[in-house]
Amino acid sequence: MSSARHTLAFAARNLLRNRRRTLVTLVSIAFGFTSLALFAGYTKNTYLGLRNQAVYGELLGHLTISRRGLAEEGRLHPEKYLLSADDIGRIAAKVKETEPQAKFAPRLGVNGLISNGRVSTIFIAEGVAPEDMRDLRGPLVNASGMLDASKSGGITVAQGLAAILGLKDGDDSSLLASTLRGQANALDAQIVDTFSTGNAGTNDKFMFMPLEQARALYDAAGRADRLTVVLPDVERTNQERDRVAAALAPLGMDLEVKTWVDLSAFYRQVKNLFDMIFTFLFSIVLAISVMALANVIGMNVVERTREIGALRSLGMRRAGIQRLFITEAFLMAVIGCVMGFFLTLALRYGINAADITYIPPNSTNRVPLTVGLNLPLMGVVVLLLGSLGALAAWLPARRAARAPIIEALGHV
Amino acid sequence: MNAVTTSVATSIAARPALLALSEVSRTYRLGQTTVQALRSVSFNVKPGEMVAVWGPSGSGKSTLLNILGLIDTPDAGQLLFDGADVATLKDDALADLRNRKVGFVFQAFNLVPVFSALENVMLPLHVMGVAPAEAMSRAATWLERVGLAAFKHHRPDRLSGGQRQRVAIARALVTKPSLVIADEPTANLDSENSAMVLDLLWEMSRSEHVTCLFASHDPRLIERAERLVLLRDGVIVEDRVPGTKQQWRPQ
Repeated sequence: MSSARHTLAFAARNLLRNRRRTLVTLVSIAFGFTSLALFAGYTKNTYLGLRNQAVYGELLGHLTISRRGLAEEGRLHPEKYLLSADDIGRIAAKVKETEPQAKFAPRLGVNGLISNGRVSTIFIAEGVAPEDMRDLRGPLVNASGMLDASKSGGITVAQGLAAILGLKDGDDSSLLASTLRGQANALDAQIVDTFSTGNAGTNDKFMFMPLEQARALYDAAGRADRLTVVLPDVERTNQERDRVAAALAPLGMDLEVKTWVDLSAFYRQVKNLFDMIFTFLFSIVLAISVMALANVIGMNVVERTREIGALRSLGMRRAGIQRLFITEAFLMAVIGCVMGFFLTLALRYGINAADITYIPPNSTNRVPLTVGLNLPLMGVVVLLLGSLGALAAWLPARRAARAPIIEALGHV
Repeated sequence: MNAVTTSVATSIAARPALLALSEVSRTYRLGQTTVQALRSVSFNVKPGEMVAVWGPSGSGKSTLLNILGLIDTPDAGQLLFDGADVATLKDDALADLRNRKVGFVFQAFNLVPVFSALENVMLPLHVMGVAPAEAMSRAATWLERVGLAAFKHHRPDRLSGGQRQRVAIARALVTKPSLVIADEPTANLDSENSAMVLDLLWEMSRSEHVTCLFASHDPRLIERAERLVLLRDGVIVEDRVPGTKQQWRPQ
């Protein structure tokens, strides 16, 4: 223990020998760390925003239960995949038994044409009971697009769709769709609110309607195509999916349970893209930092060759010499990261205070550019930089330790 | 030869050898040239002896001391250190042996510049694994003995050449070694500091009963030795008691 402490103290002192060189290395590591930490903080907030949008904004919930194959063949054979009122009751009971705090809502997807009396365009609608929608909206319960329980024919439409038809709150419209059996059916609906889906691909066609209205339009009384479940803890989504799937299996209904990540292709695409960019950035920062450390340790070894000879003649083992230089590299990596951490805090504060907004690709709204703190990832960066820096120092340190003592002592 | 030297010589002669060098050769390559630094040298050193190795430049003095101090290995021949054949020892065992049994005083001091005088003296004790508090106490005692108690927190760059060499002497003796190797310890010092360092080295090695091997051109150092070994072209040409023509021990 005392030997380790002495090595650490010795290594720390050695960092002060050539202060300018050490400082340049520390600053380069700190900048690298900061760029990674800021990007990781930005992606963390972005993922969180996208998750909230998918789970609560698009009403995907955390889990979706349906008959297996609904997404692929539900439109071709709707009768086969729809759940009856009895099915819904049995599934709900099992979910409640498995996770008593879960909230769930039957859903029915409908599509067709919406008209303002003069012009028509296609719509994709989600039928959900207004009172269930309050549960599914979670923290976004006060956001626009909420259905009104007091208005049975009241629908909320995406702003792009409303703009195409020139509709505004309080206006009437007509909905035309094919029923379950393929017959045309039309209903009147009143616009109670408009909202932005945040996605250019859906903002011109998406809408919410009360579940009963969707059932009436589809001629599917008491039925639903899926159940959406909101869990008390989003972090346990995967575990709960497995538990719920296991609990539903004995019902013999050939059901499948999907998570919000399975259903949100946009989230997966953005996350994959950002993760790839982060990996690329991380590789560059890692390579630069490790090369800088290897270079500094290499120079230190050459400059201190004579001292290494003296230490060896005093009885320090080869491993002791190697440990010393490796500890110096590790210390530099860690101190550089700590400097980078404080720089990150300062820049993060500045960025968040600047209220910067931007429009992401394929988006309809400006979103604030905010940077979070991804502490676990920062920890991984420190560990990786520290260990790879130490590894980079290993080669010059080994060379130093293996040099013949008399040659080292005679080094000029 | 005076009476004291004769009495020391008699008592030392009865002891088993600390160092036994047998038919040792050492060759170096310098570019295209091969230099035979030692040629079949046989040489014993008993515990407590104070031996001066002298001779012209390039005669092999440093090579001999390096081999005896376990920081170089011979190409041929055998070295027994305290009865153990050092050729059979692995590098770590040799390092441990140096740490416990050998102290070095270098011509260029070779102190660690980022450490204070005290920390430099503590260094071999740290390597040995001595607890920090005990190491500090022992190092402080030694600095006091070499007259540098007031300078213990000074770094080498704030010490004079003589003071640095005194720190090096304290560092060499703090582990209570059996052997001290001093290669040209006064070569970088002015005459006043040389005298001081010589006095100190002699007093300390005598009071601690440490075997001392010096390589030097300094006549004052040679005068103080109890045994003089003259090397020329890698061969011992003379091994005698100073001030006499008496062979110390025929080889």
